[in-house]
Amino acid sequence: MTVTVKTFATSGEAAAALSSDRSARYLGGGTLVMRALNEGDISVSTVVRATDQALARIEVTNLRVTIGAGVTFARILAERDLGFLHAPARSIGGPAVRNMGTVGGNLFAPSPFGDFTVALLALDATIAMQGGLGTRDLPIEEFLQSRDRQNGALVLAISCQRPASADAFRYRKVARIKPKGGSVITLAAHLPVSSGRISGARIALGSMAATQIRARAAERALEGRSLDSSAISAAAAAIAEGTSPTDSALASAWYRREVAGVHLRRLLSGQE
Amino acid sequence: MLELRKDIFADERDDNLKEVGKGTQRQDMLGHVTGTSTYFDDHKLQGMLHLKVLRSAHAHARLRRIDTTEAERSPGVRRIIRGSDVPRNLNTLLSLINFGKDDEPTLAVDKVRYKGEPIVAVVADSPREAYEAIAKLRVDYEPLPTVFDVEEALKPGAPVVNETYPKNTFTYHDIYDHQKLRFGDVDRALAEADHVLDQRYQMAPIEHAPTETNGSIAAPDTNGRYVVYTSTQALFFSLDTCAKILDVPSNTFHFIGGTVGGGFGGKVDTLTEPLSILGAMLTGRPVRYVFGREEEMQYGPPRGAERIYIQDGVMRDGRIVARKVRAYFDSGAYTRLSSYAVVKCAAHLPGPYAIPNVYGDIYCVFTNRTPATAMRGFGVTAMDFAIECQMDKLAHIVGMDPMEFRILNAYRDGDMKAHRREAKNTALIECVQVAAEKAKWPLREEFKRMSSLEGGGGIRAAIPLTPREPSTPRAAASQQRTSYDRAPAASSHEPPAPPPAPPPPPRPPAPSHGATRFSSVFGNRRR
Repeated sequence: MTVTVKTFATSGEAAAALSSDRSARYLGGGTLVMRALNEGDISVSTVVRATDQALARIEVTNLRVTIGAGVTFARILAERDLGFLHAPARSIGGPAVRNMGTVGGNLFAPSPFGDFTVALLALDATIAMQGGLGTRDLPIEEFLQSRDRQNGALVLAISCQRPASADAFRYRKVARIKPKGGSVITLAAHLPVSSGRISGARIALGSMAATQIRARAAERALEGRSLDSSAISAAAAAIAEGTSPTDSALASAWYRREVAGVHLRRLLSGQE
Repeated sequence: MLELRKDIFADERDDNLKEVGKGTQRQDMLGHVTGTSTYFDDHKLQGMLHLKVLRSAHAHARLRRIDTTEAERSPGVRRIIRGSDVPRNLNTLLSLINFGKDDEPTLAVDKVRYKGEPIVAVVADSPREAYEAIAKLRVDYEPLPTVFDVEEALKPGAPVVNETYPKNTFTYHDIYDHQKLRFGDVDRALAEADHVLDQRYQMAPIEHAPTETNGSIAAPDTNGRYVVYTSTQALFFSLDTCAKILDVPSNTFHFIGGTVGGGFGGKVDTLTEPLSILGAMLTGRPVRYVFGREEEMQYGPPRGAERIYIQDGVMRDGRIVARKVRAYFDSGAYTRLSSYAVVKCAAHLPGPYAIPNVYGDIYCVFTNRTPATAMRGFGVTAMDFAIECQMDKLAHIVGMDPMEFRILNAYRDGDMKAHRREAKNTALIECVQVAAEKAKWPLREEFKRMSSLEGGGGIRAAIPLTPREPSTPRAAASQQRTSYDRAPAASSHEPPAPPPAPPPPPRPPAPSHGATRFSSVFGNRRR
């Protein structure tokens, strides 16, 4: 069977095409789907595209940002208002991949990829999706837990709050090849501070489980405390709790668990 | 920019040569920088078919049954190729120069010996249809015990990887299971050395990672000939290999290549051409066979992994008096070119240094890993890494500057190398001096004044007395045994030494009056 490419003017039509065909896959920038096709993945028979400009929209208000699923990392890097997302965007691939790869596609990138999604998880993003039955908003954690079953739906946009200050959101990707290697560990931490105390800490990890996950034990270790060395030590000690990394050519599961605390400590204490 | 230091080597080269030493434009550079160079995959021929292979899912398994019925009925399939369709389904690359035994099938028949070994080829109208047919092939495997470690593979009772070489070692000169280098009396020198340093080095396989993956397109031509567009970096070598495997005269083929999208040694093995030509022969249509990126990374041959043990003896004044090397080259499941890497390595020992007592045992070992092949200085690069690590550690042990330590031990013009060739154009001393100068690394005056042109030869040109039988290790005298790191001394767990190789059988009298010549590959030969 040959591969059919279907291009639609609206995201609604594209979503309908996706939900009605199990062998259909949505093509955003193509950095995942074209690779799969080139390597002989015969599970994809229909490629669905949408030219809907709404998918490429970026909206920024004082409190929140909304980014269309089709926005590329190169565009995020060109957007001054999205400065807090520049580090995660820059950590992905080389210029060619950043030029094509999209925010929506990154949500589906398997480990050791999907670094941008680690940042979105720490920022408690909301995923706007269109399925066969209409649109709905899904918290990112819920989305990630059911990611394997989301192929029939189309991601329209993601939205998240803007961190109150530059210090409140931190991101670090550990790779063996710089700047564009796959992730050994990716860490993102959103640590809002009110009257000197951390309130609502969210720490997210990439390459430490089948999907991006939160480090809840480390979050608890920081909650209600100021970001001092004892709090950082407590969080670093707890970082690997609940993780289930696997061995890969980039790093062993053991190594990932061993060094996660070291990198969290560096991230939180502002060391390079 | 290459710079010949005429201030040091005034007589080294005639400055009036027309081409040598003159800057010149590469003939293919304009095409490369303007993106107009034509690669093999830029040929889209009318009616071209696409070939993909089913690869083994196991590292070592017997093939009980291969069922192609469903795949044959798959849409777009033109031909399924099995091992029995390949005219001569056993080859070794260097058989073209009579080196080594045929040990590798184009398509596996009764057994697979590494994960990813090709078993069945599918020729179809499109790559997609070929992939879909491959998903319908059924192979019944009977997994066999595997061996992935070079020293494990040499132990008695280890699984036999490749029945052509039942001891899991390549056979040199029909009888030897390794290459041996003996120069002087290493055991005596080690016993008399002030310090002995034992180390183990383990290399990983290295993938060439070319931008253009391996591939070729073969098309029927007039007069029963075939034109082959190929990525090979060894055009005539690949052509002759195909002629042998397909059992036709070499003038059957017109190979077109020359523009290689990155080779580095990884495009010598002629992995795609025999099958794309066979596909063209069996279908009468042009056939294209190109590795995907994962195939290239996972199953394209890498630089072989090497395990190296080095035992060095050094005196307090910094002179290295002995170097004893035991190395195991991981050839993977088949020979390809690792057998030759071993020969090169033996000739390279002990590195670019004048050491009066040298000992080397180098093995080419078969394991259930991806076959290894050529890559930039293979056989020498990894050994040099190990040797230069040793040099730094030895310098540290005797308290010498590492640059001066290298100058002190460097070979010089006229010195006898361990493989009994006189060293010429050595220039290591000058290289170290210039490197130190550029790095602003301080050298003492006496080391700045040393020269590779002086002090060599004479007594250093003599071949030392070399015991034929392995000498018994002597008791350590006043020697200080230096453990450099936590690794246990390698000599404590030396594997059972293979029985000493018998002397080569006497040659029959020469039938002609030709002179005898020694070749490291062929041994003694008459010409």
